[in-house]
Amino acid sequence: MKKLLAALAAATMLALTSGAQAQTYPDRTITMVVPFSAGGPTDTVTRLVAEAMSRDLGQQIVVENVGGAGGTLGAARVAKADPDGYTLLLYHIGMATSATLYRKLPYNTLEAFDYVGLVTDVPMTIVARKDFEPGDLQSLLDYVKANKDKVTLANAGIGAASHLCGMMFMSAIQTPLVTVPYKGTGPAMTDLLGGQVDIMCDQTTNTTKQIKAGTIKAYAVTSAKRLDVLSDLPTAEEAGIAGFQVGIWHGVYAPKGTPTEITERLSKSLQLALKDPNVVARFAELGTAPATEAEATPAALKAKLESEIARWKPVIDAAGQYAD
Amino acid sequence: MKIIHIDTTNGLCGALFVVLGLFFAYQSWMMDMGTALRMGPGYFPLLLAGILLLLGIIVLIQATRVASEPIGPLAWRGMLLILPAPIFFGLTVRGLGFLPAIFITALIASFASMRMKPITALILSAGVTLFSYLVFSRGLSLPYRPFGPWLGF
Amino acid sequence: MDLIDNLILGFSTASTLWNLFFCLIGVLLGTLIGVLPGIGATATIAMLLPITFQIGDPVAALIMLAGVYYGAQYGGSTTAILINMPGESSSAVTAVDGYQMARKGRAGAALATAAIGSFFAGTVATFLIALFAPPLTAIALKFGAAEYVSLMIVGLVSAVVLAHGSVIKALGMVVLGLLLGLVGTDVISGAPRFILGIREYADGLNFVAVAVGVFGIAEILRNLENEHERSVLIRNVQGLMPTREDFRRMTAPILRGTVLGSVLGILPGAGAILAAFASYTVEKRVSRHPEEFGKGALEGVAGPESANNAGAQTSFIPMLTLGLPTNPVMALMSGAMIIQGIVPGPNVASEQPALFWGIIASMWIGNLLLIVLNLPLIGLWVKLLTVPYYILFPIIMAFCSIGIYSVNSNVYDLYLVAFFGILGYALMKLRCEPAPLLLGFVLGPLLEENLRRAMILSKGDPTTFVTRPISAGLLALAAAVLVIVFLPAIGKKRAEVFVEEGA
Repeated sequence: MKKLLAALAAATMLALTSGAQAQTYPDRTITMVVPFSAGGPTDTVTRLVAEAMSRDLGQQIVVENVGGAGGTLGAARVAKADPDGYTLLLYHIGMATSATLYRKLPYNTLEAFDYVGLVTDVPMTIVARKDFEPGDLQSLLDYVKANKDKVTLANAGIGAASHLCGMMFMSAIQTPLVTVPYKGTGPAMTDLLGGQVDIMCDQTTNTTKQIKAGTIKAYAVTSAKRLDVLSDLPTAEEAGIAGFQVGIWHGVYAPKGTPTEITERLSKSLQLALKDPNVVARFAELGTAPATEAEATPAALKAKLESEIARWKPVIDAAGQYAD
Repeated sequence: MKIIHIDTTNGLCGALFVVLGLFFAYQSWMMDMGTALRMGPGYFPLLLAGILLLLGIIVLIQATRVASEPIGPLAWRGMLLILPAPIFFGLTVRGLGFLPAIFITALIASFASMRMKPITALILSAGVTLFSYLVFSRGLSLPYRPFGPWLGF
Repeated sequence: MDLIDNLILGFSTASTLWNLFFCLIGVLLGTLIGVLPGIGATATIAMLLPITFQIGDPVAALIMLAGVYYGAQYGGSTTAILINMPGESSSAVTAVDGYQMARKGRAGAALATAAIGSFFAGTVATFLIALFAPPLTAIALKFGAAEYVSLMIVGLVSAVVLAHGSVIKALGMVVLGLLLGLVGTDVISGAPRFILGIREYADGLNFVAVAVGVFGIAEILRNLENEHERSVLIRNVQGLMPTREDFRRMTAPILRGTVLGSVLGILPGAGAILAAFASYTVEKRVSRHPEEFGKGALEGVAGPESANNAGAQTSFIPMLTLGLPTNPVMALMSGAMIIQGIVPGPNVASEQPALFWGIIASMWIGNLLLIVLNLPLIGLWVKLLTVPYYILFPIIMAFCSIGIYSVNSNVYDLYLVAFFGILGYALMKLRCEPAPLLLGFVLGPLLEENLRRAMILSKGDPTTFVTRPISAGLLALAAAVLVIVFLPAIGKKRAEVFVEEGA
């Protein structure tokens, strides 16, 4: 009862003060939730961006790791948070795919959030163990179709980037393969390096260094244009799979009901952060580029989320594997 | 007719294994078994649950034959106060804030011992709170607010 | 010679005053945070990670972080010995005999043994990394799913040896641990298992929460049972330092533990914990006093501690040579490297030799600082045990709550602490030991996943386990362990059981 009273009092105070809040925003520490554990690629992106944004906002942004259930636990936490601009979420493509992969989400993906902007779109690469026979993407496609019961396709577990890209790949070439799931990218990459599995499709964040060192074989990137860091590698489009583009895009969200002034302010700050030389340099080393000023806006993120939910739903439903 | 005497410690242990085995077996049964070559999610756990059940039965049978050490006294007061302490922390750290949550957590745990005097408990909890604030909030900047929204912050 | 040049480069990088300073800070902070109960290496590193981002120099930042890692490892062993709270899976084994030594007033000797064993193992493992990192990596890559299954079987077989009571109950604990390890989303099919509809458990049960519950909380409750008898953990503290006899007894276990740890540490996943368990098994087998194990045998601390420290060190190998994080701690390290502008990968050694060799050299320096720092601290830790128990455990509960909550900010992890506290207490009352349960818990998902993966990869051919040479060798080893353990013991065990029954 006491708790309830305290909560009510707090809610009233919030309602009274929220009008005045917008002008002085931000006047205390902001929490940016990353729905994965510390150390992973999304955590890294978040920490880089949060640090650059704090400098512009004049308030510290602390990164809180709320991992679990493919990122949906962290998203659920932010969906329920006060829409005051002090709790934000940085989540990748999983925001869109979890809407289909999870049939029992505790929030409605399209209703529960306001948008700040896109952060980056990490390209994927189609790679294989280094002694895998086919020499280029076209011969890979022929080989895979001829040996579909033998070729093994690794992924890092349901909902992981490599799982999504693998599904899209099989759907694009109309050939089901033997999929071998792992718990996380580390073990999957280990087995690819050791030649225990044949092919995988994974983010440049994980593959660029290996490709450059020649420890794995690369067939194509899944972006629209070739990458600066891997300029010899053709795009999947060029090399023979029409319309095959997959990127692990990241966006910053706020709970639904956050004042527009605040999301606009955050979006401006995000745009600045994405021009920060340190952020640009780190992103480049990971094989990706910051979102453009036009992409780092609430409208662009909203449009991206809507189109991606629509795009992945049939692919996931066709695969028929769900995470709950 | 000889009355079968069951040893309490082993009897309960066997019963616990059996109950847990049945729980896991029932839950696994609801899942897809697959085949030995392409195992489904239920295959391996059902196998394990079966082994646990079997081990439970063996322990139960042993219980009718041999006596082992007695169970001894139970720490009722300890269970009643130690176990809720971390849960209290988890439920209130956001609402009440870090400082009140950790203070009350330490206070609850303090009273698990009969030897604890209220004054000592208060001083101890205050000390723990101060230390935690300095180390975790100031030193390591863990992302928890010192006082939370329930208190009007 | 290349190696000498490399080592000189490494040591000259690591021993600049600036880098030494960060190494010391890392070791110090790691020890101080890691020694808080319920806060293991992973949580310590996660908490200290943001601090390293403030350091602009990547070499210094990574040296400090590596220092944090060893410090946290050592701090975790300290809490395992003093209050039976292992903060990491690998120190669960240390808790078994270390805590019993502490209860007998020999905490000082146990801590010193752990420190000495860790230092020796750390030194050897560092030089192994410098000498053989690339060939060792090649061996690790030969380990496919079938090899893992066989390795897990070796691990499980040895778990039974760990038991010092009923073998049936120990088996039950292993199986229960395996089942608990399977809670969460099935990796292969995506189906949720045993989570009773609670999404928070979809990624499995938090290890630290389970370990703190079954070891630590159960122990606190046991101490609260009969408060009239004693108020402090131990009454008499004997000499802080190991005796001459102790040194004699710890030498061989440390050597064997170091070898086991160095080899198994390279393997992704559960290398360090398997090494610790394997070392315990070996020591109990070769000991002339196997009955002392579980009741405070020095060898049971020396061997596993050396093994887990060597393993912790060599688990850097796959990360340094391939950029593959093989455990959560290495994942944090690789995240830190990326933030510092170094993407871990196979080329780090050739592109950034100063950084690569600097980190390796700093591993040894870190271990040296650790022992210099910790030997004098032993007196302080042991004093802690004379604090009345009713003062100690509210503090323990507060720190556990913070430590466990901080990892995922999830109250469900704290529900687990309470649940496993009561389960652990019940098991303790029913004379079941928690260590085999924890081993099963760690190995469960690995065993099942690899078993199923091996079957997928071999297209459903079960002979894969015996036709692959490494796998076949491991299975033979498991069989040998089984034979050695059970054959001569059967007659003896019966006798022991009768003694117990008669008592």
